[in-house]
Amino acid sequence: MLFDGTLPDVQLNHAQRELTVKIVYYGPGLSGKTTNLQMIHQRTQPDVRGRLLTVETHDDRTLFFDLLPVFFSTAAGFKVKVKLFTVPGQVIHNATRRIVLQGADAVAFIADSRRSASAENNSYWKNLNENMRENGLDPAQVPIVIQFNKRDLPDTRSDAEIEEARKKGKEPVVGAIAIRGIGVLETLFAVLQSAFRSLDARAGLTKNIQLTEKEFLTQVFQNIDTSGTELERLFPPRVKPL
Amino acid sequence: MRQGESVLQRRISLGELLDGESFTDVVKGFVELYKVGIKVFDDKGAKLADIKVGNGDFCGYVFSFPEGRRRCTATVSRVKDGPLGLSHGARLPVIDSDDQARAKGMVTVPCFTGLRYILLPILWEGDTLGRVVFGPFQPEDLKDFPPPSLKEISEGFDTANATRFVEKVRRAPETTIARVLLHFARLMQTMIFAGQKMFLTTQLHIEATLEQNRDLEERNKKLEEMNQKLKDLDRLKSAFLATVSHELRTPLTSIIGYSEMLAEGLAGPLNGEQVDYVRTIMDKGETLLKLISSILDISQIEAGKVRLSFEPMDPFELVNSSVSSLKPQAQKKGVTLETKLPPRPFQSTGDRDRLRQVVTNLLTNAVKFTPKGGTVRVLLSELTHQPDLNTQGFRVIVEDSGVGIPADQFDKIFQSFYQVDSSSTREYGGAGIGLAIVKSFVEGHGGVVRVASEVGRGSRFTLILPALPSTQAQVNITPPVTAIQAPADDRF
Ligand SMILES: Nc1ncnc2c1ncn2[C@@H]1O[C@H](COP(=O)(O)OP(=O)(O)OP(=O)(O)O)[C@@H](O)[C@H]1O
Ligand SMILES: Nc1nc2c(ncn2[C@@H]2O[C@H](COP(=O)(O)OP(=O)(O)O)[C@@H](O)[C@H]2O)c(=O)[nH]1
Ligand SMILES: [Mg+2]
Ligand SMILES: [Mg+2]
Repeated sequence: MLFDGTLPDVQLNHAQRELTVKIVYYGPGLSGKTTNLQMIHQRTQPDVRGRLLTVETHDDRTLFFDLLPVFFSTAAGFKVKVKLFTVPGQVIHNATRRIVLQGADAVAFIADSRRSASAENNSYWKNLNENMRENGLDPAQVPIVIQFNKRDLPDTRSDAEIEEARKKGKEPVVGAIAIRGIGVLETLFAVLQSAFRSLDARAGLTKNIQLTEKEFLTQVFQNIDTSGTELERLFPPRVKPL
Repeated sequence: MRQGESVLQRRISLGELLDGESFTDVVKGFVELYKVGIKVFDDKGAKLADIKVGNGDFCGYVFSFPEGRRRCTATVSRVKDGPLGLSHGARLPVIDSDDQARAKGMVTVPCFTGLRYILLPILWEGDTLGRVVFGPFQPEDLKDFPPPSLKEISEGFDTANATRFVEKVRRAPETTIARVLLHFARLMQTMIFAGQKMFLTTQLHIEATLEQNRDLEERNKKLEEMNQKLKDLDRLKSAFLATVSHELRTPLTSIIGYSEMLAEGLAGPLNGEQVDYVRTIMDKGETLLKLISSILDISQIEAGKVRLSFEPMDPFELVNSSVSSLKPQAQKKGVTLETKLPPRPFQSTGDRDRLRQVVTNLLTNAVKFTPKGGTVRVLLSELTHQPDLNTQGFRVIVEDSGVGIPADQFDKIFQSFYQVDSSSTREYGGAGIGLAIVKSFVEGHGGVVRVASEVGRGSRFTLILPALPSTQAQVNITPPVTAIQAPADDRF
C-alpha cells in the first residue's frame, strides 16, 4: 500500500496525497485472469482508467503481467489509484509471479471450476502461499477472494460442490463465467471490499484521509457499467449520453 | 529474502517511459512538418526534448538587448516552470468548439514580443507527468508589430530588422496551433503507452532473471544443508547399528555356546525331547547371529569402516567351500546343487573371507528362492581377459530355477534392506541385506555384479572379478532410498 506518509516510499509524497491499492489476480495458467481484466476494462469509463497493458507471448499466454489502472479523486481531495495486475500462469514464470505479487493489498484467486483442474488449483494455491511468505506478506493478513471461473464448461463443479469448497476456508467465493462477464464485477467488488477493510484496519483510511468504504466502492463502481450484474441495484449504471 | 523493490511498485518518470532517441526523432519530424518549436519537460522540470524552428534569429536579436534578455528569460521560465493553471499571465486558449473537450488543461501564455506559447500538461493515468511547450508562434491576430512591450526594451531597437526576423516564425491562428498541439498530445499518449510497455517488460525481465538466480542459489544452499544432514544422520545410524549389533552378538554367543554344551551333555545327560529343544535354541540362535553379523557388516560398510585385505587366493577353493557350506540346507529343502569348474586350477588375489561371504550370500538366496525339486548351479570360468573390467579376471555364476525377479527390481534388490516382497506376510525370511553386501564387496574388489532373471523361470547372478584388484578400489555402497511425501494441504 502506498499511503500518505505512513511508509517510507518515494511515491508517498505528502504533497501528492495519494493512495495506491494493488490487487493481484492469481491462479493457474488459462484460468481466466486476463479475461477478467479485459471485461473490467470494457465496462469502465475511459476517463477513470488507463489502457489495458498486456504482455503476451505469440500464443496468447501472459508473459509478464497484465495491468489495468483505475483512478479517481476522493471528496476530500485524495488521489486514489487502483492497480489491477495479473500474474503469468505458466509454471516456469514463478519468479515473475513473485515479483508481481510484491506489496499486494488483496488477491483474487481465479480457479478453473472443472473437477479435472483441482490438482492445478491446489498447486497454485500452495504456490500463492509460498510466494506471499517469500515476499514477506502474511497469508493470514492479505485478503483473498476465490473465483470459480468457467462454470459454463462440462465437468464444472456443481453449486453444492462450490458450497463445499467455500466451507473449507474463510475466503469469499464467487462463481463466474468470465468470457460472458458473469461474476467478474462481483469478484472485483469482493476483492476491493476486502482490500479496503484490511487497509482501513492497518492504516485507518476513514480516520486519516476521510475515505469510507462506501465512497471507495462507489467512486469505482459508479464509473463501471454494472448492468446485468448483481451490483446493478447498488450502483445503478449511468444513463449513457446519446 | 528479496532485495529491492520492483519497478511495478514505484512511480515511473516520463523520461523512463519515453525512449529518448526515438522520441526526439518523432518530435523533430513533427516540428519540421508544422514549423512550430516543441519543448517537453517532466514534472521535475527536466528537459526531454527541445526542437526549435524559425524563431532563432528573432529571439537572438531580442536577446542581444539587456532588457530583452531579462524579459525573455522571465517568459521562458514562466512556460517551463510556471503553473499549468490560469495564473501568472496564462489564459484559456482560443479553440474550436469541437476541440474543447479534449483540450483539458491547455493554456496560452503570451510573450512580450507579441509571439505566443501554448502549454499542455501530459496526463497519464490520472497523474501529470510533465508538460509540452508549443511555440513560439506568430498569432494571426497580431496586428501592430512590434508591440510597445517589445519596442520599449531599447532605444536602439530596429523595427525593420525585427520585422524581417519575425517573418520566419510560423504565423497561424491560435485555433490551428491548438489543434496541432492536440494532435501531438495524442501521439504522446501512444508513445508513452508503447514506452511504458517496453520499459516495464525490460525491467521485469531483468528482475525476474535476478530473482530466479537468487531462488536457485537459495535452493542449492538448502539442498546442500539437507544433504549434509542426511549424511550426518546416516553416519549416526551406522554407528548406532554397529554398537547395538555388537552388544547383541556378545550375549548371543554365550546363549549358543551354553546350549551347545547342554546338547553335548557336558552338564549331565538329557533325554531325547530335551536335546531337541536345546538344538532348536541353538539353530534359532545361529540364525539370529547371522542376521546380526550381516547387519553389522552393512553398517560397517556404510560407515566406511571396512578395509578389504587382499592376498593370494584360489578361486576353486572359494567356490567349493561356499558350496559345501550350503549343501546341508539344499539337501534339507530338496534342491539339487551342482558345481562346474574349469579344467585347470588358477590363482588370483582378493579378500578370501569377504569373497566367500559374497558367493555364500548368492547361494543362500538361490536355495532360498528355489522351490523343492529345483536346481542351483555354480559355474566358475577360466582366467581370461574380462572386457567389462578391461583386465584379466574370472567369473562366478550362480544360477537357479527359482521364482525369479521382475526386471524393474534389478537395481533395487542391491539396496540395503530392500526386498521384492517386503510384506509382513511374505514367504521368505531375511532382512534384505545379503545383496547389498555382495555388491559392496565385489565393487570393493573393482569387480561388478550382474543380474538376469525371468519371473517363474529362475535367476542368474554373475560376478566378474579381476585377478589382481587395484588397491585403490574403494568400498562403496548405494544407501537405501526413502521416499518422503509432503503432507496434503488442499483448498480445492
Ligand atoms: N535368487 C533369487 N531369486 C529370486 N529373488 C531373489 C534372488 N536373490 C535375491 N532375490 C530378491 O532380492 C531381495 C534382496 O536379496 P537380499 O539377499 O539382499 O535379501 P534377503 O535374502 O531378502 O535377506 P538377507 O540376505 O538379508 O537374509 C530378496 O528379498 C529377493 O526378493
Ligand atoms: N469456456 C470458458 N472459457 C473461458 C472463461 N474465461 C476465460 N476463458 C478462456 O480461457 C482461455 C484462457 O483465458 P485467459 O484469461 O487468457 O487465462 P489466464 O492465463 O488466466 O490469463 C481463453 O481462451 C479464454 O477465452 C469462461 O468463463 N468460460
Ligand atoms: Mg493471462
Ligand atoms: Mg539374501
